[in-house]
Amino acid sequence: MSDRVYEIIFIADPNLAEPDVDALTTHVQGYVEKDGGRIQKIEKWGKKRLAYVIGKHREGYYVLIVFEGPGSVVKEVERRMKVTDGIVKFLTVRVDEDLRKAERRKARRVVEDEKRRGRGTSRPTPGPEGEGVAL
Amino acid sequence: MSSGGFGGGGRFGGGGRGGSDKDKGGRGGKDQGKRYFFRRRKVCKFCADKIDYIDYKDVKVLQAFVPERGKVLPRRMFGTCAEHQRKLTLAIKRARHIALLPFAAE
Repeated sequence: MSDRVYEIIFIADPNLAEPDVDALTTHVQGYVEKDGGRIQKIEKWGKKRLAYVIGKHREGYYVLIVFEGPGSVVKEVERRMKVTDGIVKFLTVRVDEDLRKAERRKARRVVEDEKRRGRGTSRPTPGPEGEGVAL
Repeated sequence: MSSGGFGGGGRFGGGGRGGSDKDKGGRGGKDQGKRYFFRRRKVCKFCADKIDYIDYKDVKVLQAFVPERGKVLPRRMFGTCAEHQRKLTLAIKRARHIALLPFAAE
């Protein structure tokens, strides 16, 4: 049906050389595109210390891929990643809805701020009147 | 002083009828803030900073809300609002999954 935005973050084996990680990323990118996903962003975070040991590894090479596509892509890509050597762990998160909500809240806040500011400027106007009554 | 207090009590009743509101307020003391311990009101950090989307990738932000042990602390510790606490918890759990945060300290 409709396409959604997902982000996949995976941890590559830290023993791989930089070009190998690049190749791996291209592989994953290929999986995504093969099933009709459109890559929006690829971010390489580089080697980071893991918060806990995953299968003997204390470090990992983090790569983030943001793409747009139907849910079926996720299923297929995850299946393929599971059988791909060199990927230690991965996580897929759907982000479009949360980002849209955040966007809406931001927009609403702007409107509210404007309203508040509008009231703020109108407040001094009745002020002198009140003083006049007190006098 | 104690006798004065009793006298005051008597006066208090009369005062109410007499309409001396100042005395009433002082004696009643219901709304006297000084009676309670002063406690700094905690404001949800995410509300204050206007963070709408708590990103699990943003370890720096999450770490501020996770103690060394790696636990998710109750809302009362940081004063986060219910909505943001919910989102924070989810973000922490996601961050744990990809080893950005520990499940428990070694």
